Amino acid sequence: MRYVRLLALFLKSNLLMELEYRANFVAQAALGVLWAGVTFVSVTVFFTQTDALGGWTYEQTLVIVALSVLIEGGIQLLLQPNVDKIIQMVREGTMDFVLTKPVNSQFLATLRYARYSGLADMSAGVAIMLLAFIRLGYAPEPIALAQFAVMLAASFVIVYSIWLLMATLSFWFVKIDNLTELFRALFDTARFPVTTFSGLVRIALTFVLPIAFMTTFPAEAVLGKLGGATLIAAVALAGFLFAFSAWCWRRAVLSYSSASS
Amino acid sequence: MWRKYLALSKAAWALIVEYRAQIVIWMMNSILMVIMLLVWLSISREGAVNGYTAADFVAYFMLGWFVRNLTAVWASWELDFAIREGRLSPMLLRPIHPIHNEIAVNWVEKLLRILIVAPIITVVLIATPGVQLNLSPLNLLAFVISVAGAWLIAFMSDYLIGMLAFWTTQTGAFIQGFYGIRLVLSGVIAPLAMFPQAVQDVLRWLPFPYMLNFSVSIAMGRVQGEAMLLGFITQWAWAAFFVIAVWVAWKIAIRNYSAVGA
Repeated sequence: MRYVRLLALFLKSNLLMELEYRANFVAQAALGVLWAGVTFVSVTVFFTQTDALGGWTYEQTLVIVALSVLIEGGIQLLLQPNVDKIIQMVREGTMDFVLTKPVNSQFLATLRYARYSGLADMSAGVAIMLLAFIRLGYAPEPIALAQFAVMLAASFVIVYSIWLLMATLSFWFVKIDNLTELFRALFDTARFPVTTFSGLVRIALTFVLPIAFMTTFPAEAVLGKLGGATLIAAVALAGFLFAFSAWCWRRAVLSYSSASS
Repeated sequence: MWRKYLALSKAAWALIVEYRAQIVIWMMNSILMVIMLLVWLSISREGAVNGYTAADFVAYFMLGWFVRNLTAVWASWELDFAIREGRLSPMLLRPIHPIHNEIAVNWVEKLLRILIVAPIITVVLIATPGVQLNLSPLNLLAFVISVAGAWLIAFMSDYLIGMLAFWTTQTGAFIQGFYGIRLVLSGVIAPLAMFPQAVQDVLRWLPFPYMLNFSVSIAMGRVQGEAMLLGFITQWAWAAFFVIAVWVAWKIAIRNYSAVGA
């Protein structure tokens, strides 16, 4: 309960901050929509030449595009600002202020900041998904919706855990800004069905950097063609990654010795 | 002027060697092209796509990568930073326009990029069976001229956008937005030949194709004769436009400029 109240406070203080810099908010929101457009076009162009990518039709693929834009927005909204801040705090030694507060340090460090312009990307993602459904003339069954809710939650947890792991590395390797950039570059694969890729690339995108679990499998869920095994695997993976990243975070915090002293 | 550039270049080389870590960043910017190539290859498995075989896609994206590296610019970020932080003032006191320093840094960095990128591209192009390029001396000359034009358009348009910092604090958003539009319309994500004909007919009059797609098409022998001539005229008209636009905008901006900070 205390954490819910804290979270509401964080969101409010971030909103006040955002209102202070309105021009920046508008510019970033517009940019988010523009980038959603770039993502959309970069997939649509393939369908001027083909009917299917990796066995997915245009409309089905649009669901995947929508999810990739949605997650990208979530990263903008929450993960990028907090992880950037963690890296900065470790470098400057101000992490002390987080660790000495009487709340869970992971909670405080990863949910403290929000950049509301990310909501523009997320809205664009929802719009693309609705477009796909309208073109398909499709409304998901309740079971598909329930599966989708679970898969989407798992997807966000997986992305969160990977970002937390990257942040954790900053305790040992001070300069890891490049790592988050690398994630975002590789995340460009998320807008395509994982079956588009063959061989090693597909294996890597499923098991090494599990991008398939972030977009392709949740899309299968909402389209009502998800296998039960994938659902279980996604929940297990999300649970494992969350526990593992939280454990790494605790280890990192224990080994943290401030910057100046 | 050459002596000035030599001095600027030496300083720039020292700077670039110091910031080697940037290499990692470009490599990441290249990942998108690799992904796009993989997807195009996945659909060209069953046969040519709109006149492009799998080997053509490899050639397109490799040459595209080369041209993209040679036309990469970031002067706008430097300019935006210099204007906002008030660091432009000492630059204005020098007897040489600040743009020349940015050009020198850009060229020297290109040298480093060629050293890294060219061997990779050569190996891939040789190792891929069925790659067809037009490497006649005349065509190579056309390629070089087109890349020079591409660089000029890319650099000047970027500098022009950087100059928005004289009037707004949100220049970063404009730079990134332009970058995104350029990604799609210059041919980074797909050969422009893959776009619908109506789109191509409009694009040919815009500056974007001449920053990448045009040069690559020349090297692949897909633009010839009259079409090439018309392409060159359009390209250099845009290049001239941006040079003049930068010059005019600079005159106006400097007249109204008052420094920020100390």
